[in-house]
Amino acid sequence: MSTITTPTTSKQGLQKQGRQKRPQTQRSRRRVEPIFYLFLVPSLILFTLAITVPGIMGIFFSFTNSIGIGDWDFIGLTNYIAIFSDPAILQSYLFTFGFSIVTVIAVNVIAFLLAVGLTARIRMKTALRTIFVIPMVVSGIIIAYVFNFLFSNSLPSLGAAAGIPWLESSLLANPDLAWIAIVLVTAWQAVPGALLIYIAGLVAVPGDVYEAAEIDGASKFQQLLKITLPLVAGYVVINIILGFKGFLNAYDIIVGLTNGGPGTSTRSIAMTVISGFNGGDYAYQMANATIFFVVAILISLVQLSLTRGRNAL
Amino acid sequence: MSVKPTRRKRFAAIGLGLALLAGLLSGCAGDAGNSEKETIRFTFSKREAIGFMTKLVADYNASQDETEVVLDTSGVDVVSASFVRGNPPDIALANYNMETSRFVQRGALSDLSGTEAASRIREDLQPLMEQYGSYPGRTSALPYSVMASSVIYNKEIFAANNIAVPTTWSELIAACEALKAAGVTPFYATWKDDWTIAQGWFDYSVGGQVDTLDFFKKLEAEGVDVGPESSVSFQKDFDQPVQKMLTLAKSYVNKDAASRAYGDGNLAFSQGKAAMYLQGPWAFSEIAKTAPDLKLGTFPLPMTEDPEDLRVRVNVDLAAWIPEASKHKDAARGFLEYLYRPEVIDAYNKSQLGFTPTKETANVPDPRIEGMVEYYDNGKVYQGPSVLVPRTIPIMNYTQAIVFGAPPASTLRTLDADWARLAFRQ
Repeated sequence: MSTITTPTTSKQGLQKQGRQKRPQTQRSRRRVEPIFYLFLVPSLILFTLAITVPGIMGIFFSFTNSIGIGDWDFIGLTNYIAIFSDPAILQSYLFTFGFSIVTVIAVNVIAFLLAVGLTARIRMKTALRTIFVIPMVVSGIIIAYVFNFLFSNSLPSLGAAAGIPWLESSLLANPDLAWIAIVLVTAWQAVPGALLIYIAGLVAVPGDVYEAAEIDGASKFQQLLKITLPLVAGYVVINIILGFKGFLNAYDIIVGLTNGGPGTSTRSIAMTVISGFNGGDYAYQMANATIFFVVAILISLVQLSLTRGRNAL
Repeated sequence: MSVKPTRRKRFAAIGLGLALLAGLLSGCAGDAGNSEKETIRFTFSKREAIGFMTKLVADYNASQDETEVVLDTSGVDVVSASFVRGNPPDIALANYNMETSRFVQRGALSDLSGTEAASRIREDLQPLMEQYGSYPGRTSALPYSVMASSVIYNKEIFAANNIAVPTTWSELIAACEALKAAGVTPFYATWKDDWTIAQGWFDYSVGGQVDTLDFFKKLEAEGVDVGPESSVSFQKDFDQPVQKMLTLAKSYVNKDAASRAYGDGNLAFSQGKAAMYLQGPWAFSEIAKTAPDLKLGTFPLPMTEDPEDLRVRVNVDLAAWIPEASKHKDAARGFLEYLYRPEVIDAYNKSQLGFTPTKETANVPDPRIEGMVEYYDNGKVYQGPSVLVPRTIPIMNYTQAIVFGAPPASTLRTLDADWARLAFRQ
């Protein structure tokens, strides 16, 4: 156990040093060079123009009956009231959250197991790592169209040839199972990102803890459970947070695979919001986006309070 | 002494920063070339006719030297977004539907009543346009191509099995049974693309029984009250047509219908894999790519026992409009008049098997759409319910859900609720 506590003590040492140094640097901290503010200006302008202003405009229009163009009137909270009784929107929230949770679990379990394998002493480690990372560099919409073809044509004809009846109809055409296809494809694309983070985490675990464990007679499985997992816990948290955030915004893969169908069974929140532009329902979907924004902030707050306690991050 | 150089350096750095920023901002405002011709952006995204239109635009650009028309084929969704951004195209030929109707009703389209083209439009087509609303004192859009659609059938398969064109529901079922017994798939369905269900299966079934014009007028009047108690509702009036649609959909289609898309359907139908196909005339040119000599015909889908009820689905496949926000309205009007020259508009409609909406036309219907001419000429037409529902209600998804096995009663109830909710917030 002493090896684990060593980094903590060294960190405390660093903090002490910092505290001692503070009086010397205090003067420069009070007067900041104005040039540093200037460096912030370009990104501040871009952020304001591209994110803040449209965001505020969207919130403003959510209280109107605007369709995005032409004449409009204020209608107060009507859009918000309508949203809470709209089964289509409630369903899109249900689908998006369910999908995100399942995908986050699938991605992290697969990525972690792959990372354990790829950091072990195996042949062709580099080649294998490269192969596993390839899905990350292909664009989501292309992946979705390729898988769409596989699900709609290749798998059914395989099923017909092999005489497997349940494989003969496309997974994408089944309203109850289409989400599984979306989880599969999304996970296929998201695993490499999580995998890289896990590999980085596993490589950082010092080898001597395993040696010590081996001497004490721990099996490989015990080592994985009792040493590897706790030591990369921070990376697990970061992967879950990053993954969950990404999956809540799911859009391109769903559009390419099912386009929200069959029926409305796989419409994500992002898809309903964007339908406001295409369907002339701008203000209503801006209200939806505002609610989603608030939900996202709440989730971020929860995640922040969860991660603040972990020094690993 | 040590302060001076730092301050100088600081000023230099600030100056440099500002210069960089100015360069960054002015980069966006730069003018892209200064040609003598006035450039207008022309939106056209009917993919079957992009080749035709590309040539037409090239001809126009070569014929005069005042306007340079740039063809924009990036699609419908981009157009609505461009309106929101305040940067719409200068002129468009686009499908006339509920979406365009929003632009009309909120006054985003300019008045075309003064154009020569407007004076040549057939007056009896006015109801088709007005069904999507109007803006006081304006002619916001002009019809360019009217499409009639109904069942496309393979004449060779019908002849080989001694089947006559059915005119009643029971004749249709008998024909389907005969085809099935002969080992021929009666209908080729492409349910993977939900729009093919909405425009074909759903619209033909409902339009063959329900007076859609009247239905939607009453539905509009009911507004927030649409539901089980209202005088008209989807759950009441659409139930029977939808049940009949399901009768056809369950027994008389290809086995892999759920995973086939529009493109697959055109190919399969051209290969004679089914006898009937619920598509509009736009599919003919696609089918002809693989089977140019296939003998095809059309007939309205019979939904009742009375041949008098037979009607064909029509829609304004293309309408021309010029946005109010366009900065090149005059140049766009010049191009509009060119588009409506008799030889141009006739050539277009001939190539796409559409009906020309101008008063005098030399357009002779293609044999493939002859089966619909008598209904079109006698005004036995309807507009499909799927295009009369505002686009914010995902009716295409709903029709797909029904075909895939969702209980029709509850889906139609959802439609009623969606309609009432939309009325509530507008």
